Amino acid sequence: MPATITESELEAITAAKVVDARGSACPGPLLEAKKGIGAVSVGLILEIWSSDPVTKSDIGAWSAKVGHEFLGVLPGEGYERIFVRRRK
Amino acid sequence: MADTEKLVFMVLHGPEHPEHATIPFVMGCAALASDVEVVLGFQADGVELVRRGGVDGVEAPSFPPLAKLMNDFRELGGKLLVCGPCIKSRGIAPDDLIEGAEIVAAGRFIAEITSATNSLVY
Repeated sequence: MPATITESELEAITAAKVVDARGSACPGPLLEAKKGIGAVSVGLILEIWSSDPVTKSDIGAWSAKVGHEFLGVLPGEGYERIFVRRRK
Repeated sequence: MADTEKLVFMVLHGPEHPEHATIPFVMGCAALASDVEVVLGFQADGVELVRRGGVDGVEAPSFPPLAKLMNDFRELGGKLLVCGPCIKSRGIAPDDLIEGAEIVAAGRFIAEITSATNSLVY
């Protein structure tokens, strides 16, 4: 799933909500994203932290499936920061 | 084709096969999170999973505990259908089943499967 904005643009984002799913096994990060996206308003951004490298592709596919915008991924220290904009 | 997508996962393995028992719940939870209706259908040894306490202590390597996935699945609105003859042959009484598990026979399974977008067997 390609990112829709640049890394520098991702760096500038302040997410409306951050979900810490580090240490959670599949499908945990996806379920946390599902819960988290419901807590942000349409148009705002959810940031998911995951230590599972498969999560970014999972969240990308999920975003496309349910109609949200997968923005991209930034590296953290031992985890990844995944950004999704709520679209509906 | 119905407006809402629906998947049916048939679960044929019990606690003695943790990975086979766990993966349909993983798939089911992911589908529910993706706004897809999900039915888990339990037959053969799979019915042991919907006996009260049946998932306690079941954990496949690299997956969450099955008890957590069962809770997530039910919270997300997934349906649990259980083969009546399969519980009878194992001495499982209806009162032994977890809340929300619905006892059905072959005709209901066929109706669910033929009305689904797709069905998978585990």
